[in-house]
Amino acid sequence: MIDTPGTGMIGVLILFLLLTLGLPIGVALGLVGLCGTILVLGAEPALIKSGVVLFDTFTRYELGTLPLFLLVAHLCFSADASRDLFDAAARMLGHRRGGLALASVGGCAAFGAVNGSSLATAATVGLVALPEMRARNYSDELATGTLAAGGTLGPLIPPSGALIVFGIIAEQSIGALFTAAIIPALTQMLLYMAVIAILVRLKPGIAPPTERASWAARRQALWRIADLMLLIVLIIAGIALGWFTPSEAASVGCIGALLIALRRRRLSRAMLFKAIEETLRTSGMITLIIVGALLFSVFISVTGVTAAIGAFIQGLGTGPTVTMLVIAGLLLLLGSVLDGLALMLLTTPILLPIVTGLHLSPIWFGIFLVRAMEIGFVHPPIGMNLYVIHGIAPDIPLGRIFRGVIPFLIADLFHLLLIILVPSMVMLLPSLLAR
Amino acid sequence: MSGKPASPLRRALVIFGGAALLLAVATDGLAVIGRHVGVPLLGSIEVVQAAVLIVSSAALVVATLDRRHAVVHLLVNRLSDRPKARIERLGNLLAAVLFLAFLVGSGWIALDMRGGHEESELLRIPYAPLRLIELAALLAITIICLVHAIRGARK
Repeated sequence: MIDTPGTGMIGVLILFLLLTLGLPIGVALGLVGLCGTILVLGAEPALIKSGVVLFDTFTRYELGTLPLFLLVAHLCFSADASRDLFDAAARMLGHRRGGLALASVGGCAAFGAVNGSSLATAATVGLVALPEMRARNYSDELATGTLAAGGTLGPLIPPSGALIVFGIIAEQSIGALFTAAIIPALTQMLLYMAVIAILVRLKPGIAPPTERASWAARRQALWRIADLMLLIVLIIAGIALGWFTPSEAASVGCIGALLIALRRRRLSRAMLFKAIEETLRTSGMITLIIVGALLFSVFISVTGVTAAIGAFIQGLGTGPTVTMLVIAGLLLLLGSVLDGLALMLLTTPILLPIVTGLHLSPIWFGIFLVRAMEIGFVHPPIGMNLYVIHGIAPDIPLGRIFRGVIPFLIADLFHLLLIILVPSMVMLLPSLLAR
Repeated sequence: MSGKPASPLRRALVIFGGAALLLAVATDGLAVIGRHVGVPLLGSIEVVQAAVLIVSSAALVVATLDRRHAVVHLLVNRLSDRPKARIERLGNLLAAVLFLAFLVGSGWIALDMRGGHEESELLRIPYAPLRLIELAALLAITIICLVHAIRGARK
């Protein structure tokens, strides 16, 4: 018999090997899924299933959300949104000790809302904020740690690419996921700000205060980002309050972003072409991963490996909290060798049935998983955000960047623990708004 | 890659996919306005679904052309150029095998459905042309992966 949990586990190990070898994530997931399903069900049903999965995924209404939000991000990026967002936050907070670091976190949060990507948020805000902080004699550790950690706000703040992918794979409402992410994202941002405040209180020399901007300058900076902030609020509130579906929200976002680019005199045929080209490139990459993950989950479900792991965990009788703590540990361990998307897509088909078996909400699990995945972006040795920041300032040694991110990493672990211990932090808004 | 000029194929794909993307934007936008002014746009979801298929097909081809599929860099970044190139060739070859399997599976279904007049419920959008677009994209990606595998590592 090959339709056994053992076959599933061997498949997972082969997948892990292929990923480590550097095969494209979508190809590795798809190949293991397809070959495994051929072994278990036979060639004809497996090939036909792959055709069905592909056409169903390609015509899935929710899949449209992804390229549309990516287009919003590229249009906003072309309209110079990251600089304006950071400038406004810097003029409001820059005169305080550590103010530019606080402004960077605020800039990352705002840019993350239109972007949804950890790496892009760290890179774009970092390009603007890092030279500014260094010019004002901020310590390298504080400046780089803040930006690397701040970038991770991108995948959680709605609209988030990671949550859209999770929603498609786990067949969960993307709107509910976005709503559920609001409180965790806000608390994550506040925790980062608290870390900066504590660090600056302990070592005032690491972030000297800068000149106070006049109220006229502040008003001017706020006016420059008013259109963007209005668009962000419209998208998030529209989804949360049910004015439109996430896909419609993305389209409204595209129209808004086009109008913003037009207002800022940045809209041109070349700019639109480039934004669409970048959008297609990124969404093509993610689409292959989604199709691969769906095929992999077909294989995993026919082998019964999740049921076996679920039964094993239930047999331990440890209860949901301890089980989730163990799963968090496992995710953090895997996150130190796999990148975020691979981690999410490898573990969702296996862990989701186990989590629902523990009577935990799949929506809660989506937020928990994305949060755990984000931590992987800042913890060594993978910690891609750390390398992104190193790429912006190659003269700062990596060791210093690693040291700088440690206080934020501690805050991240505390935040993940909070999400496990206080699930209402995630579920409060979706349940309130569902009434 | 933004610096290098777009090839005619990539340009055509971007225009084709971009038109579908903007069609989805316009349809969803009109649907939202229509719903809130009391004139619902029936079948808007079906239009967006068809547009999404075109966008996804074009996007997959563009990402493959530009070798933009995500990989885990843990080991690859520590390798010298030669083993790195070999792994990349292997990845392209396996990708070609996977897309060929997708092509066979999708073609099988398309053949089965040939006489069935598959169409959407409200607007009766025929599925056959959509399946053809999907098949064309899969064929193109298989060929691109094979060419990448034969030609070797990216320049």
